Amino acid sequence: MSVLALRLAGPMQSWGSSARFARRTTESAPTKSGVIGLLAAAAGIERGDDEALATLADGLRFGVRIDQPGSRVRDFQTAHHGVTGASMPLSERFYLADAVFVAAVAGETGLLTRLFGALRAPAYPPFLGRRSCPPAQPVELGLRDGDSLQQALTDEPWQAAAWYRRRHQDEAMVSLTVLREADEDEHDADHQRDQPLSFAAEQRRHALRTVVSRSVNVPNPDVVRQQAGRPRHDPFDALEESV
Amino acid sequence: MNRFYLDVHALQTVPPSNLNRDDTGSPKSSVYGGAPRARVSSQAWKKATRDYFGAKNLLDPSELGVRTKKVVEVLADRIREHDASVTESDALELAAEVVAATGLKIEVPKRKSSKKAGADDAGADEETQDRPPQAKYLVFLSTRQLDGLARFAVEGAADIAKFLKDKDNKARVKQIADTRHSVDIALFGRMVADSTDFNVDAAVQVAHAISVHRVDNESDYYTAVDDHNKDSEPGAGMIGTVDFNSATLYRYAALGIHQLAANLGEGLREDESKITPVRRAAEAFIQGFVESLPTGKINTFGHHTLPDAVVVKLRTTRPVSFVAAFEEPVRGDLGGHVSEACARLAEYIPDVERAYGDEGSTLTWVLRVGPNTRKLADIGTESASIGELVASVGQAVAERLEKPE
Repeated sequence: MSVLALRLAGPMQSWGSSARFARRTTESAPTKSGVIGLLAAAAGIERGDDEALATLADGLRFGVRIDQPGSRVRDFQTAHHGVTGASMPLSERFYLADAVFVAAVAGETGLLTRLFGALRAPAYPPFLGRRSCPPAQPVELGLRDGDSLQQALTDEPWQAAAWYRRRHQDEAMVSLTVLREADEDEHDADHQRDQPLSFAAEQRRHALRTVVSRSVNVPNPDVVRQQAGRPRHDPFDALEESV
Repeated sequence: MNRFYLDVHALQTVPPSNLNRDDTGSPKSSVYGGAPRARVSSQAWKKATRDYFGAKNLLDPSELGVRTKKVVEVLADRIREHDASVTESDALELAAEVVAATGLKIEVPKRKSSKKAGADDAGADEETQDRPPQAKYLVFLSTRQLDGLARFAVEGAADIAKFLKDKDNKARVKQIADTRHSVDIALFGRMVADSTDFNVDAAVQVAHAISVHRVDNESDYYTAVDDHNKDSEPGAGMIGTVDFNSATLYRYAALGIHQLAANLGEGLREDESKITPVRRAAEAFIQGFVESLPTGKINTFGHHTLPDAVVVKLRTTRPVSFVAAFEEPVRGDLGGHVSEACARLAEYIPDVERAYGDEGSTLTWVLRVGPNTRKLADIGTESASIGELVASVGQAVAERLEKPE
């Protein structure tokens, strides 16, 4: 068993799990169906090949760590029919701008080795939830031994951008949220309709999957050590005293 | 087939303009590297590229895909591939009905030995003839369209005449066979998916263009005088505001050549290389993407510009966007946005290629304008003009396609 770790970063990403029709929303973190879709595309699994998809969707457990949450951007889109020129419904699309995530899938080593290779020379190019959102850098971080998603997502170095790390340079450890599928002995799981069953164009189907939220502490490589004699400054100290 | 990708990167400066606006009329924006950026949506630039194909005659549908008069025979073969239980003569009959329903005129070719000399538009009841009907002119069909038509025929095989009388089916078959848009659909997919059954997965991936530097939208307050106002204190006939910004944009698109080849299909004329249509479509894409421009408020702002720098890569590994070079916003006070953006790329590209690329198989071309782009000169083979760039990339694409698996 192994874990394949991915770095999902780019100017824009969009991970819908319940978006329908003209209002296409995004979750605040990558979805399992989106990441499985990215892997399936790299491996050349065609839309509608539900059997091959099931090998990935059922064979891999999924988790994601929010390294840099980003912000929501709303996009307003108009469209006209290519042949008739008729106006199509106006649509609203939401994106996560400026976000960085570490996603991980755990499963059988042979399968993950094949997927790792496929990401280097993909059949269909990778995108972050939506076609117009290519990743800013290659997504594959590497294969890790073991099968614990929690462990892999704790060990992975903090992937946030330099400007974002600078903002947190006072913190020796940063606390990051991990959202992952539950282990068998975990009973505090929520459910999300995010287990892909079919990506066929006519009929996309998703089942429920579990999701638990944990936080992990990851060292900040850019921490600036407090120098002796340098006064500690926190403007909120004054507020608390006056209350 | 070998997998390989073409990626196109461009730096383009636009003066005060509003190429692509949101529902409040402001230019679209985003955030990157913690700083607000100008944004032009991918769909806006894809639309501009497609329109450019038509306006400049970059692509002639007849150059690409399956071009044949024997559309009935080709379709009948495809029907039998989809459903082997259909007999050859039934398949021909089905194909003739379906092709006729698309609105194409078909007729039985005349033969000296044939007693029946007249042409028959419907093309039905021809199974007794030893020659199937043909289209009156050369028809261009993509593989996907043929597959769609074949599936359609199999679906209605029980009683094709009755099936085609249905208004919805009639509309569907016409839509499947809409031949005028095949090539750009192979590149971009369908822009408006109103028939998900026949969607094509686009071979092209276009990113939202974003400015390499921090951009805050500005607002132009204007007044207009009413020429016929005779009041002693005329005032303004109209006032309003137009939002705008100016930006140096990083634009990125990737084209899966193997996907394009699959979308266009390989059933070409005997005497024509199957490589030609892929090469032509790839060439048209590069030129169209580089030279096109969204026309939002173009008569207000006249923002006609072309990219200062273009980098094209042909690679066997995954395509790579260089947008991370601009995650830290470029500062204009260090000699201009273009100059610093080029310096950033000149440093970033070799770095990312060394870390992740495949130097042995990756080819790089550069097209650049002006002294500000000098730092990009050594990134790849320099082309003197867009024509030269397009031709040499097309040549390389053709050579790669010719290589055995």
